[in-house]
Amino acid sequence: MKMSFRTVALSNLRRNPVRSILTGLSLAVSAATLCVVLSLDRGYSAAVTDELVNKTGVHLYITKEGCPIEAASVIAQGGLSPLYVSESIVEKLQSLPQLDAVFPFKLFAITTEDGSRTDIFMGITEAARSVKPDWQYDNGGWFTSDTAVILGAELARIENLAVGERMYSEHFRREFVVSGILKRSYSQDDGTIFLPLKTAQSLVGREGKLSAVAVKLKDISSLDASRNLLRASVPDDYFVIGSRELSEGILQFFSSTRAIMFVMVSVAFLISIFGIVNTMLMAVLERRKEIAYLKCVGAGARDLLKLISLETLVISISGSALGIVVGALLSPAVGEFMRKLLVAYIPSGSIARPDAGIVLFSFLSCSIIGLICSLYPAVRAARIVPMEVLRNE
Amino acid sequence: MSNTPVVELTDVSKHFHRGSEVVHAVQNVSLSITPGEYVAIIGHSGSGKTTLMNLMGCLDRPTAGVVKVNGCETASLDEGRLATVRTQSIGFVFQQFFLIPTLTVMENVQLPALFAKKESASRARELLELVGLGKRTDHLPGQLSGGEMQRVAIARSLINSPPILLADEPTGNLDSRNADTIMDLFQDLNRQGVTVVVVTHNHDLVKRCSRTVLIEDGSIRN
Repeated sequence: MKMSFRTVALSNLRRNPVRSILTGLSLAVSAATLCVVLSLDRGYSAAVTDELVNKTGVHLYITKEGCPIEAASVIAQGGLSPLYVSESIVEKLQSLPQLDAVFPFKLFAITTEDGSRTDIFMGITEAARSVKPDWQYDNGGWFTSDTAVILGAELARIENLAVGERMYSEHFRREFVVSGILKRSYSQDDGTIFLPLKTAQSLVGREGKLSAVAVKLKDISSLDASRNLLRASVPDDYFVIGSRELSEGILQFFSSTRAIMFVMVSVAFLISIFGIVNTMLMAVLERRKEIAYLKCVGAGARDLLKLISLETLVISISGSALGIVVGALLSPAVGEFMRKLLVAYIPSGSIARPDAGIVLFSFLSCSIIGLICSLYPAVRAARIVPMEVLRNE
Repeated sequence: MSNTPVVELTDVSKHFHRGSEVVHAVQNVSLSITPGEYVAIIGHSGSGKTTLMNLMGCLDRPTAGVVKVNGCETASLDEGRLATVRTQSIGFVFQQFFLIPTLTVMENVQLPALFAKKESASRARELLELVGLGKRTDHLPGQLSGGEMQRVAIARSLINSPPILLADEPTGNLDSRNADTIMDLFQDLNRQGVTVVVVTHNHDLVKRCSRTVLIEDGSIRN
């Protein structure tokens, strides 16, 4: 094998393989964390946009003035939103020729007395079929009566309910019949109880009141014109909000979670940085005699910088490569885990989506950080005065 | 062979501080070593032999005086240029062998050539044959005896074909049989034209040298 700086660097790393491996692993953890967090960030945004903008037929929502995200949050915590839209506007909207479908719905959540469980109820009409084109039944079908319910896949599994069986609600002291069970969509729908709109309204004593109305346009290119038309058709204290704006609002709501995730990445990086600097510094100090000798036989400051940087680069590249592979493989599982933790809107589909850009970015950032970490130990090596070391020996 | 001294020291002094005390390690030394000489520097421990050799090898800078290597005055050279002088002109052998434990014998010998950016594999093989270790190129230093390690160190010091070989107590860590081998090796190298300067306490080694320089309290006495 031709003698090169690489040969020397690799041989130095073999002196203390456990230490080299542990240092590489600390960087691998950072690379994996960065890869997972970036995958989640990208995946969640893409999934929300997919669900609310690309996949659904909904182009506009009509809500009552106020923050719809805050209202959603109240509902998610088991409350009843004080904001509501009057059902009287539905008929007027249905008469507009520009609209393809008008989907009024009533959304509320009921938390058990001990707080251990929250059931999400959604009162819907037949128009749901137009705005939820991905809906598929695992069993059964549409409501067969006013007391019929359609269950999300996860809820049906937990309750061990099948089509035709009866479901008793302690809170409402009422019995429902399961008319359909949806296929798993990995969205909030999986844990939702769907029931006829009128039944939902009467359960919470909000007859004639809706959470919102979703609207599907015949021609998406006329979005702005249709928005203006809708604004003119509804009372002044109603909002007409585009699905993209809604998705952006949800993503803004997600930003605090995202901030926490990036703080985690920063902490992981800080630990790695201290680990690498410490390891390389120890490696330099342990080899003071040898480095002094290398300087005696002509190694210049640049040679030593190159040697120490190369050693760190080997650790960084190996650690980063391992980290991104683990991160990319773990991302889907972490995404599923995050579903259970997120209070914000949970879209269907994978919420962790690693791609080549994320993998490349994670790899390069970790490798470059590793390289930067080598600078101080390398400078210390370059500053070793051979005479001082040899004299003390 | 040119008579220009390979190493020339003129009124060289070296002082350094040890706590509050100033140590006068070398005082007003003038010494000229011509090509092909085999010089022994002797003296008691602490007399300044090693400091003198380090000054000759450009490992240390004098407090006063002039050091010339191959006619080049070294005082004005920065660290990078000094490193180049060491790479091209001087080979070092120390009492401790300073072999890299994770590099093979062959790789250890090639190491100085790496910094000189020279192709060195065939020269390294030649040198290992010369020191009698041609069949142990792939061994690690830990698999060698003390004498063999010093022979590797000597081969390594010669990889860049330096005109001067400086050796500090090269037999200090060896038994008499291995010491003899090393002494024979130095003699052979000197016969081949390498200027050899050894700092030593070994009388047998001194006897083989063409000149002896005695250092006492930092000054040359003979």
